[in-house]
Amino acid sequence: MKVKPPLFALRFFQWYCTPELADYIEGDLMEVYERRLKNGRKVKADLLFIIDIVFLFRPGIIRSMDQSPKFYHSVMLKNNLKLAVRNLWKNKVATIINVFGLTVGITSALLITLFIYHEMSFDAFQPNKERIARVIMEYGFEGSTDKVKGTFTSTKVAPVFSRTFPEVEKGVRMTDADMIVKLNNEPVLESNFMFADSSFFQAFAFDMLEGNPTTALNGPDKVVLTASTAFRYFGKEPAVGKTLLIGNNGTPYEVTGVMRDYPTTSQIKFDFLASFSSLKANQEETYFNANYTTYLLLNNQHAFGPLQEKLHPFMENEMKGSGASILFYLEPFTDVHLRSPYADFTGSISITYLYTLGGVALLIMVIVCFTYINLSTAKSIDRAREVGIRKVSGAVRSQLFWQFIGEAFVLSILAVIVSMGLAILLLPTFNELLNKELDFANLFTPTFLLGIFIASLLVSLIAGGYPAIILSRLQPARVLKGVFKNTPSAKILQQSLTVFQFAISLFLIIATGIIQGQLNFIQNQKLGYDREHVVMLSVGWNLSHQQMITLKNELKTNPNILHASRCSSSPVNIYSGYSMRLPSMAENEVISTNANPVDAGYIKTTGLQLLAGADFTDEQVDRTRAMNSEEDKFYYIINESAAKALGFTSPEDAIGREMELNSVGTIVGVIKDFNFQSLRTSIQPLVLFTASWGNRLLVKVKGDDMEGTLAFMQTKWKQLLPHRPFDYSFLDQEYEKMYRSEVQLGQMMNLFAGIAIVLACLGLFGLSSFMIQQRNKEISIRKVLGASAFNLLGILSGNFIRLVLLAIVIATPVAYFLMREWLDGFVYKINLEVWFFIVAGVATLLIALFTVGIHGLKAVVDNPIKGLRSE
Amino acid sequence: MKNYQLGEFEEIVILTVCILNTEAYSVAIKDEIESRLTRTVSMGALHTALKRLEDKGYLKSFSGESTEDRAGRPRRYFEITALGKKAMRHSKETRDELWKAIPNVILDAKLNKLVLAYSLV
Repeated sequence: MKVKPPLFALRFFQWYCTPELADYIEGDLMEVYERRLKNGRKVKADLLFIIDIVFLFRPGIIRSMDQSPKFYHSVMLKNNLKLAVRNLWKNKVATIINVFGLTVGITSALLITLFIYHEMSFDAFQPNKERIARVIMEYGFEGSTDKVKGTFTSTKVAPVFSRTFPEVEKGVRMTDADMIVKLNNEPVLESNFMFADSSFFQAFAFDMLEGNPTTALNGPDKVVLTASTAFRYFGKEPAVGKTLLIGNNGTPYEVTGVMRDYPTTSQIKFDFLASFSSLKANQEETYFNANYTTYLLLNNQHAFGPLQEKLHPFMENEMKGSGASILFYLEPFTDVHLRSPYADFTGSISITYLYTLGGVALLIMVIVCFTYINLSTAKSIDRAREVGIRKVSGAVRSQLFWQFIGEAFVLSILAVIVSMGLAILLLPTFNELLNKELDFANLFTPTFLLGIFIASLLVSLIAGGYPAIILSRLQPARVLKGVFKNTPSAKILQQSLTVFQFAISLFLIIATGIIQGQLNFIQNQKLGYDREHVVMLSVGWNLSHQQMITLKNELKTNPNILHASRCSSSPVNIYSGYSMRLPSMAENEVISTNANPVDAGYIKTTGLQLLAGADFTDEQVDRTRAMNSEEDKFYYIINESAAKALGFTSPEDAIGREMELNSVGTIVGVIKDFNFQSLRTSIQPLVLFTASWGNRLLVKVKGDDMEGTLAFMQTKWKQLLPHRPFDYSFLDQEYEKMYRSEVQLGQMMNLFAGIAIVLACLGLFGLSSFMIQQRNKEISIRKVLGASAFNLLGILSGNFIRLVLLAIVIATPVAYFLMREWLDGFVYKINLEVWFFIVAGVATLLIALFTVGIHGLKAVVDNPIKGLRSE
Repeated sequence: MKNYQLGEFEEIVILTVCILNTEAYSVAIKDEIESRLTRTVSMGALHTALKRLEDKGYLKSFSGESTEDRAGRPRRYFEITALGKKAMRHSKETRDELWKAIPNVILDAKLNKLVLAYSLV
């Protein structure tokens, strides 16, 4: 038997070698191979054979790419273009569907891309972003397993860490606040006011327009303004050296610098940046009083690990014997916006939302591409004759292939251009919907434009590829004889694409429905308090108790104002760590709890439900302010969870019992559990305690004459507190703010799922029109033979119904599992009911039936003669 | 004056074709070069060179008989053309002229150095 060289190598050689040399060189190869076989082993001969072939792969021996006879390209191109336009014109329905689908799809994808890009590019402008860490604190008390974790840190962390650890180059302490600033002698509440250490300018990017960054924040009562704020306060005059009156007492601050506004993609946002020392906060006394955010500038980006390793032993040593444990974790600055469970100064977003939206954009593009494939395969019958003629006249397969791809490319480039315009037009609306400041200028970079070009090339390859292959493969003789039909494989493809389109749409319908349902659930959730018609006023911590009483009494003269209570937090979000214990408990045993200082009438104002006991009274509040602290007496209202944690058997059992929060006091009431934090967390213990301080005033009003009531409140305010701006918000708005990212996601999902469904229906609309056209003759004959309209409609839509049913079978489990996963993120959530999926499935089916029905009806109603005489 | 371009490897190939006279086909050329010059010649390089020489008109080729050990593929024999001969001659003459133009000193110096090295041993 003759020994053969490796066949794949030979094949490869035959594939690339130019025909004029192929025979001779192949002969040479064989001759040499035979000789080597005689002299050595087969493996070696094979190897050398392959090496020879690899070395033969060089210009001069490789066949030329272009073997087709050369045409006058410009003439051919013109002809192709003309034909493309004529074809598009001839199939108006398909063209409109394709162009519309592509445009809408690409516009959606563009807007989503813009949104994702915006969120992804957060803080990208910070030069030191790789080596900045945000400090996360975790604390707990001995005798309790509860731990609380968050971005709060005390003033001590930054100086101690930068002194102790060589890895820390600088520490920056920051906090944001609402401050009153006098503008033309009018007090204005500035909510973007930030205090920061002077090291801010070493850690973070800045562009100082006026003033010296190294000294700007040195010393108390110094403030740096952003350019827009400087303009607001001083117009075009230079701001540096001027004085601003800031705070309740109008402390004069010196303006020491003006810096360019931070871009919208910054997690740190401010109009004013004041020196940290202005806060006159204690510097290094304690790790408690953790009310500030600390950032550390490390000396290099690899210092995270080594530093983290040192932190726990260091802190264990520091906290020895204090009865509490405090640990610190480092979080990379670049993770703060997208990957952190803790909010940043601007409100972070979860990266899974971005993935979700990206997925939706992709699904939309898939639907659009499928529609294109379906329609062009369907109409390929019309073009079969053209292909036949072209082939007879000498067109080769590759030429035809590229012609069809070219048509798709022209269409998609057109769609891209139109979409860009459309997206620019829609951007303001989109921004309003999302409450964002997206800017298209961000995207007009060479990379992005190249990306768009590649994407449209890809779309035209995917969308145009299959029809191009089918059409270019046609046998001219058969086509011209007129026996061309859609191949079975094309039919299978069309059907499976339709199934996928509907599966995608159904999935989006279900997902959108569930997200919306959960959002409605959150918004209408009986939270245990009444957030309707509650006005929240910012009164400031310094307002005296006496002034407060006067204000309350004055406000209550209006019959529309029902109750008022001063507090530190509204029931929407209470987040402050305390520890409580019963006097009967072991010496250092404590229970972690949240606590909120309130004064009289808090329960009435917020509509919380008392299970036992009563609301705080004015006298009880007064007892906390006795002149000597011996006589101070505190009163507590606890929630069910706290009562359970303290070991009371029933709400009544707790009333009148002694309890220790910061000091000993009496429990006077027990309230029903309510959600005082996000619905993503379960309800924890809560204590309300009597206090005459608190920066908020909650006012419960009748909903009747809101404007009048607000105006009344404002005039009273102006009389009594002229030094403070009248700044109000509504409790339900505060509540919605907490779920903003969910609401945003819900809105975007609604919008884009709607678009996806419309596009899928458009695809089905086009496809069914072609399929029914093909069966025109059959329908006419059936009709002549006496089929009823109902009968015919059944025959026509039966096939599509099968496809949609298949889509339902595919999409439902996927949607079920994915959405269950999403809902698992919430502690309080809706159940996934069966009817939900049934409704979505039936809706999809009806939409499909309706779409097919339009065409079916037309075919059924038409005179059968029309269909039959076309020969 | 016509410009005869001939690369180093091309020159070797064309010389070998002349040496082999009527027996010049690719494998034979390869063997001949390999045995005379003790260098390996890849099939790719040889075929490219042959094609280039043919394109330049220095060689012409014709199909020979097909044999069993070549899996039925024909041999392709090469022959030098008149133009090829001119090119070879031109190449040799230019080399000779260049050799002649080298001042004796250099060649002698080399010799001297050799002698010097010898005497040192």
